[in-house]
Amino acid sequence: MRVPHDWLAAFLGDALPSVERTVELLDGLGLAVETVHELPAAPAGVVVADIREVEPIEGSDHLVRAVASDGRQNVQVVCGAPNARVGVRTALALPGAELPGAGFTVSEREVLGVTSRGVLASPRELGLYDYAGGLITFGDDVQPGTPLAEVWPAQTVIELELTPNRADAFSVLGVARDLAAKLGVPMSLPHVGADAGDPDVDDGLRLEVADSAACPRFTLRRIEGVRVGPSPVWLQRRLAGVGLRPRNNVVDVTNFVTFELGQPSHAYDRRVLREGVLQVRRARPGETVTLLDEESYRLSDDDLVIATPGGEAGSRAIGLAGVMGGLHDSVVADTDDVALEVAHFDPVVVRRAAKRHRLSTDAHYRFERGVDPDLPPRASARAAALLAEVAGGRVHAGITATGSDQARAEIAFRPSRVAYLVDLEVPLDAQRRYLEGLGCEVREAGDDAWQVRPPSWRFDLAIEEDLVEEVARLHGYEHIGQTVPAMHFVPPIQDPTHRRLKEALADAGLQEVLNYVFTGPDELARAAAPAAAVTLSNPQGVERSVLRTALYPGLLAAAALNRAVPSLALFEVGHVFLEGREEERVAMLWRGPWARGGWRADQPLDFFAVKGVLEGLAAGAGAELRCLPGRADFLHPGVSARVLWQGEEAGVLGRLHPEVAARYELGEVYLAELQLPLPAGRVRFAEVVRQPYAERDLAVVAPARVAYAELASLVRDAAGPDLASLEPFDVYQGEQVAEGQRSVALRLRFQLDDRALTDDEVDVRMGNVMRAVRDAGYDIRA
Amino acid sequence: MLEDALGAVSAAADLQELQEVRVRYLGKKGLLTQQLKGLGALPPDERREAGRVINEHKAAVEEAIRERRAALERAALDEQLAREAVDVTLPGTQLPQGGLHLLTMVTHRLLDVFTALGYEVAVGPELETDHYNFESLNFPAEHPARDEQDTFWTTDGRLLRTHTSPMQVRYMETHRPPFKVVVPGKVFRNEAVDATHEAQFHQLEALVVGERITMADLKGAIDEMASALFGAGTRTRLQPTFFPFVEPGAEFAIYWTHPRTGRQEWLELGGCGMVHPNVFEAVGYEGVTGFAFGFGIERLALVPYGIPDIRSFYQGDLRVLRQFRGAL
Repeated sequence: MRVPHDWLAAFLGDALPSVERTVELLDGLGLAVETVHELPAAPAGVVVADIREVEPIEGSDHLVRAVASDGRQNVQVVCGAPNARVGVRTALALPGAELPGAGFTVSEREVLGVTSRGVLASPRELGLYDYAGGLITFGDDVQPGTPLAEVWPAQTVIELELTPNRADAFSVLGVARDLAAKLGVPMSLPHVGADAGDPDVDDGLRLEVADSAACPRFTLRRIEGVRVGPSPVWLQRRLAGVGLRPRNNVVDVTNFVTFELGQPSHAYDRRVLREGVLQVRRARPGETVTLLDEESYRLSDDDLVIATPGGEAGSRAIGLAGVMGGLHDSVVADTDDVALEVAHFDPVVVRRAAKRHRLSTDAHYRFERGVDPDLPPRASARAAALLAEVAGGRVHAGITATGSDQARAEIAFRPSRVAYLVDLEVPLDAQRRYLEGLGCEVREAGDDAWQVRPPSWRFDLAIEEDLVEEVARLHGYEHIGQTVPAMHFVPPIQDPTHRRLKEALADAGLQEVLNYVFTGPDELARAAAPAAAVTLSNPQGVERSVLRTALYPGLLAAAALNRAVPSLALFEVGHVFLEGREEERVAMLWRGPWARGGWRADQPLDFFAVKGVLEGLAAGAGAELRCLPGRADFLHPGVSARVLWQGEEAGVLGRLHPEVAARYELGEVYLAELQLPLPAGRVRFAEVVRQPYAERDLAVVAPARVAYAELASLVRDAAGPDLASLEPFDVYQGEQVAEGQRSVALRLRFQLDDRALTDDEVDVRMGNVMRAVRDAGYDIRA
Repeated sequence: MLEDALGAVSAAADLQELQEVRVRYLGKKGLLTQQLKGLGALPPDERREAGRVINEHKAAVEEAIRERRAALERAALDEQLAREAVDVTLPGTQLPQGGLHLLTMVTHRLLDVFTALGYEVAVGPELETDHYNFESLNFPAEHPARDEQDTFWTTDGRLLRTHTSPMQVRYMETHRPPFKVVVPGKVFRNEAVDATHEAQFHQLEALVVGERITMADLKGAIDEMASALFGAGTRTRLQPTFFPFVEPGAEFAIYWTHPRTGRQEWLELGGCGMVHPNVFEAVGYEGVTGFAFGFGIERLALVPYGIPDIRSFYQGDLRVLRQFRGAL
């Protein structure tokens, strides 16, 4: 919402503070100032002039030779504007004038043999507003020869970023009202006192409102004898200030009132209303209407339309209620009889229609937020009076209208709640002044018990807390102190963000990355990840249309991006989205070498290097980690493990399948993806054993397909409880053992906690182990 | 004989030669040992004198051997040390360099602050329902307030949370006041992505509910956070604004010295307010008041480091990510 500072002055007069102070006040009131625009005056050296002659120039299909008069002299110019016609009053820029929107200084020049002694200028060339489709045009309010800067001075425009609850502030009136309440000054209201019209006087118009819930209030006012033409300069400048393009005096008045009072309106050419009838009804399914944007819209019975009698079905839609008027109903150059619509529409009806048809207009924007439902008759009176003033019409004494003012329910308000909730001490008289300044009616119903009736324009005031905010807001949040709550709360110590894990991984040499949760079906397929379970209905492109089902595809993409980095280790902690559940995971990626030697040999990366990282994590958490042979589509079938953490399935670890690796143009890559949380183990203290241990080695020859875990478990079971540790120290496959066999050398340590074991005792235990190995069908290598 | 022996000792080039010399003179069949054994053949009156001389020689040779051994051992050690010397200026083995994402570091720092202030840390789902994301937070259906948060919807009618505030309701449903809790997490907005807007970003949400929590407590909490982050006495500011789930509502800013430009200015950080009665009603709380505040984490990472493009957080380029090391 753009608010020209000097337009505020029309409401507040001398009480309006400087621009700087106004900005400060608005920010403090919650009408956040986004920017302050300094709009320049019309450029120097530009005067109002009438076009007296126009003739084509030979050799050009669009340029004309025009003669413009500033009242004292005639100036010949070359002009290409489509509206350069005799009788048009416009702006003449004389040599020396700098045109900010055109980026040049006007000078005398020759065009196709014609001397041009100035420039007839468009609004954009003049830097006044954004329209370059023709010359700026003026009416009788300015005389030829008037320097344009005199009637079009500079203005400061405050641009507000309004919150959706403050529908009332989408007008200069609403902003001024907040300022007046804050400053405690009176405000002059442009719409008070205007002739509201007599409903008993027949104006030849009739309203048929078929859906009074969607359209609780509708007014039509007739203005006869208008002359459509350019708006006066002051009105053009106001519209330019709020960012609108002036069109003609009738349309400009409706737009002006939209911004002045926050009430959208629409002016019909009376001739369009067959028999003077205007209808408000739901659209028929499939009915079409062509709106002002020259587009045709297909309607449904959810849409509320403005219609007139006629057409095959007896009623023809001419506009989409509260959103946009129709192409064929508006005022045209020869309109002389205007029917002015000022109505109230249900916010949700308007919002749905605008969404359905993807339309965004100043009217819909206000209606969906909520326009003051009592405003239509008042805004109608204001707009009619203005039309008469600027378009020379006569306002009809009658008015045709439906609906009436609706009293708002009172809100029970305890002034003490301001101190209770905000900790602000605001005297009662000040609280009353603030609320009344905003338009509330305050009635004292008892001790600390007020009944407050909010004004019709404040939809957002419904409960006591809303009034507390109004008092605090006007009093000023800057007066709120700072305290520390007296509260007894001992937070539990937890690590829901997996901070320890992230730090451990970073310490283990992995760099954290963050990827998007959205990805594409192709990307998941490329990574051989599970197909998406959750699809977005309004994605930012197909490559972001589904939610990820695994983290590692994001790491693969990051690895591909960082291909130039010689040795890579990445991790991510994040959510994945599966059928029926959202899961938190950690994923890790390594691409070798493990460590770079540079001038000497690298330390190679392999499965066991990365498994060591996971084992380190587990050890750090006091947890037990086991890897068992497993399969995953994206992993190398022979280098792929299920990971068990504390005995629970936690995820997978392995080498990326070479086929998948090739799709990313990556070489050997190792991946792990584990479900979170990875719980820490329970620590139990055990006395340190001070007895010596006995160490024995044993080489078991077994088929290569027998997993080490299987051998280890066999040996552990046979060795009994005194086996303190078991470790493989050599794994051999080759000439020394038979084809398909593998030798695993084991180092066993036996230990008792109260005395040393004798050799004989160790021999007995080793005997048990060897027997078990042989019973299982394996050999023992000498 | 003594001269020969001493000469042989000093001529021994290494420990093995020295051992041979020792055997030659002092071994069981060594020359000096033989001489001692030969004493018995001498007449008794010569025997003593001769014995003394031989023992003197033996002691001298032993001493010489000891000295020689020490010298040889020192030389051997010197040689070994020289052999083992390395060029310490050559680069070391390059182990993979790990690190946390800048956003994680900023989040950790914030959690440190809030944990120290006695807050619990909680997290919640990213895929949410309309109920938790909007309805229970007092966003009416068909209200423009929902447009302020462009939402990613799923084909089954769920949504990616547009803020961390759904966790206010989820937390309150499972806890009883009084409490202080913070919720960090990813949030999503379906906005045009550019250098300052991302479709995915992070927020931190704080919720404090108790018997008589006031807006001054809110101001105090924001002040404490600002002082912890930016130094004692950092000024903060509340200005009225609207969020459906708070009333009164405010946005808050911190007056800070921009670490790069050195200018003092207001940094608009986030939104806050007193928990709306409708939100309490949705979770069945009565007789309590509370405040909530929330803000974007990216901003606290972008602005101090002068990172020009928010998208670089999610592009996984190590040349960017690895710049942020050590303490913040």
